[in-house]
Amino acid sequence: MRLGGWVVMLACLLGQANANEAMPRIISADGAITEIIVALSAQQSLVAVDTTSRYPEDVTGPLPKVGYLRALPFEGMLSLRPDWLITSEEAGPEITLQRLQQAGVKVARLPVVDSVTAAVARIRVLGSLTDREPQAEQLALQLESKLALVQQVSAQRDYRPRVLFLLAEGNHGVMLAGRETTADALLSALGADNVMAEVEGYKPVSQEALLASRPDAIIIAETRAGQFRPADWPLLTRLPAWQQGHRLVADSMFLLGFGPRLGEALLAVHDVLPGKQVSVRGR
Amino acid sequence: MAVDSSAAVRRVPAPLGILLLLALLLLAGAVSVMTGAYPLQLSDIVASLWPRVEADPLAQMVLQDVRLPRLILGLLAGAVLAVSGALLQGLFRNPLADPGLIGVSAGAGLAAVAVIVLGSTVLSGWTAFTGRWALPLAAFMGGSLVTFLAWRIAHRQGQTSVATLLLAGIAINAIAGAGTGLLTFMADDAQLRSLTFWSMGSLAQATWSDIAVAGPWMLLALVLAPLLARPLDAFLLGEPVAGHLGYSVDWVKRAAILLAALGVGAAGAVTGLIGFVGLVVPHVMRQLFGAGHRMLLPASALAGGVLLVAADAAARVVVAPAELPIGLVMALVGGPFFLGLLLRNRMV
Repeated sequence: MRLGGWVVMLACLLGQANANEAMPRIISADGAITEIIVALSAQQSLVAVDTTSRYPEDVTGPLPKVGYLRALPFEGMLSLRPDWLITSEEAGPEITLQRLQQAGVKVARLPVVDSVTAAVARIRVLGSLTDREPQAEQLALQLESKLALVQQVSAQRDYRPRVLFLLAEGNHGVMLAGRETTADALLSALGADNVMAEVEGYKPVSQEALLASRPDAIIIAETRAGQFRPADWPLLTRLPAWQQGHRLVADSMFLLGFGPRLGEALLAVHDVLPGKQVSVRGR
Repeated sequence: MAVDSSAAVRRVPAPLGILLLLALLLLAGAVSVMTGAYPLQLSDIVASLWPRVEADPLAQMVLQDVRLPRLILGLLAGAVLAVSGALLQGLFRNPLADPGLIGVSAGAGLAAVAVIVLGSTVLSGWTAFTGRWALPLAAFMGGSLVTFLAWRIAHRQGQTSVATLLLAGIAINAIAGAGTGLLTFMADDAQLRSLTFWSMGSLAQATWSDIAVAGPWMLLALVLAPLLARPLDAFLLGEPVAGHLGYSVDWVKRAAILLAALGVGAAGAVTGLIGFVGLVVPHVMRQLFGAGHRMLLPASALAGGVLLVAADAAARVVVAPAELPIGLVMALVGGPFFLGLLLRNRMV
């Protein structure tokens, strides 16, 4: 208990040192938002992040954690004396956010990003919130040009590749991504079809359904590196798409966070889709 | 199984014990008001409570809108959970009975999870009608309804069979658990996280309006419970003896079930599920004060309040600036403590 108190006091002291430089003190409660703030070189403003903010680790690792973004602690956040809480619409509980505003903390709740265009818009909004408009504009333009590139190339394809998208959250937590997921949004931006479009959201996987889906490519998003072990999925690895190398295993925040790395994620997924002759890498 | 299995443990004289518990309560209350992630000085606290002194508005807000409602809700919920446990342990004549046994927690859980998962689709009418009270109200109603169902199954020809009630409770718990599991399967990522947090219990969102809505029911259960002290003492001698002593056996059973469902339902509605208080506190109080309910009920109320308030204070600071769910703290502290108690008794 006493140790916790000291950590808080220490955090406050460090915080005051920051405040002298007249930088806004920001708590970021959303993994992608944190990532964008760091990409805009505004990480000096961050005084705490939530548990979904895990990248980049050298920035988020040492920062105090305010818990999960749907169960934010009022006192804990107030004790860090923030100017801003920047989070998504998913944050809660409502009463905590209301109380923060009453206590004079500005609360920005950005819409949930469900498309590439919304991801670009979020970067611009964060640019103006953190007073980093030029950097945000540059980042947004980079993302837009990568999007335009993959879209131009996929428009030349005469068919829509059918893709199986899985989310690996631990030993027994491999789930398939259905419609109305960010995985689905990523695929549609690439002109690809989700083989599991009849399912809504993320649902536990049936091995047989995987076989029956006969995808052209397989994308696996891991919540932590090494979480998906191909040896545990003999049926999946026997699919033609897997054996022909139309497969990608990557970090879930990278693929599905729709943050500053979205452009790279689009290129990475595009590269494993069948039809190598139209690859955009190295152009 | 006899309730009084603690002859080897030295009893504490009643007045001394109550005084001790009151002192602990004051201490826990003071600690609870003083601790939290936001640093408050004693002068802030005095200033906030003294209307004429100019106080730091943030400190005042933390104290009046966050810490005081948490303290009062913690006291009420802890007391009512412990007293409900004592009532049911007396009714079942089993020191391992717990308010969950009659289905109130499982019913409240099922209803709460239903609101979380189906609130925007199938149950949108309910959420639109009840607004921010959709979840607490549903949890309260779910708990009461399931308890009533268990009681109805056990009630035949003007008699309630305690054994049937126990078995019906187990079956209904399993059914409600299956329903909760089904809803969990249907839930999306966000709903999963919400329902996990709800089932771990928390006082973090306590507001004065929670206390205004759920507090009267908890108080009612606490005030009426002592009326059952003598009849429950008679129950210790067996149902027929209690009947021969002139108590309406069936009336006592109904009242105990009703009060426990009322108290646990109201507390669970605003705090989520908090286990162990209802099991451990009456058990320990029985070891300290003996099995007589006239002493056991008030002692359990005080100790339950102390325990929950202390656990909440710990929940706030252990992982500051984040917070632990209080149900988790209770299980972490309560489980090993209870185990230690069992081991010690075995050696004596």
